[in-house]
Amino acid sequence: MTSKDLVLESAADRTLRFERDALVFMDQLYAAALRYTKNPEDARDLVQDTYIKAFTSFHQFEEGTNLRAWLYRVLTTTFINSYRKKQRQPLIANNELEDWQIDRAQSHTSDLGKSAEVEALENLPDSDIKNALQELPDEFRMAVYLADVEGFSYKEIAEIIEVPAGTVMSRLHRGRKLLREKLADYARDLGYTVDQGKKDSSEKGVTP
Amino acid sequence: MSAFGAEQMSCPEVLASIVFIIEDAIDQVERPDEIRSHIDLCPQCARQLEHELLTHTIVMDALRRSCVEKAPASLYESIHNQLINNQFFGAHESTEVVTTYSMTEISIEIDEFGNVEHHEIQIEQTHVQQINREQGLPEEKP
Repeated sequence: MTSKDLVLESAADRTLRFERDALVFMDQLYAAALRYTKNPEDARDLVQDTYIKAFTSFHQFEEGTNLRAWLYRVLTTTFINSYRKKQRQPLIANNELEDWQIDRAQSHTSDLGKSAEVEALENLPDSDIKNALQELPDEFRMAVYLADVEGFSYKEIAEIIEVPAGTVMSRLHRGRKLLREKLADYARDLGYTVDQGKKDSSEKGVTP
Repeated sequence: MSAFGAEQMSCPEVLASIVFIIEDAIDQVERPDEIRSHIDLCPQCARQLEHELLTHTIVMDALRRSCVEKAPASLYESIHNQLINNQFFGAHESTEVVTTYSMTEISIEIDEFGNVEHHEIQIEQTHVQQINREQGLPEEKP
């Protein structure tokens, strides 16, 4: 579609084009909104606000560019600017994020033991995984969600969240590490133990 | 850290670059070649890295599996309705220009008998003009 076509496009046609191209992402955006806001009412409102905002600037949007990434950007900035403020969550101080290289010595591996960790992760119920994700601070949760659920690259995430790429890397590093720790906590509650994991990797780690 | 000279990168330093390996951005690290050669030569790091990548895949699969959601059916309806409304009132902010012309015609007639007739006629005309202009959100650049 050329810019001349865009000028000639009627309001009704634009609405149709928007619904055709953008509304297909509604389930995905709703899933992200649920993980962002942690409750269905806010998630609903966030998705609705996102679509209305996106539609308002849709005439500037050129076909062929990444509509999905753009919608996530509108969703994420809307969440940061309005819903987060409403929920009054403290921001993570920037210097706190940047000094992540200090803990270089720490790897991701939890103290659960390698094989027990893998087995536990494969058997954790969805609810535990969602809860663990929701326990992460907003900044980490958004970065991990966008990368590991939605499959955005760190460069795309930098544009979606509007932070430097290095900050995205640091949030991914720390967010994934924190998530692994929380998942290990849930695994322990299910009966996976360090000892079982270390003793015999073939043995089932779950206590009956 | 065993079979390496003092100039070599340490195991913790290598393992800290895992996020860059996962993101396929190892070239963003300061000394990518040293990391590559360290992993080639250090079995502990190679094993640890393998475990990290495996676990990352498993966590990713678990997240993707558990985060699938279906938006409520009523949400589609409510967005659709709001889009239709915005099509006329929001996306193209319309301005109404109301112009009112007002004219008063005064006529005084005096006939031959000296009677004075005074007429006042007020004529009013209202003109409404719709001005549509494109209205986007300047802070949202696509």
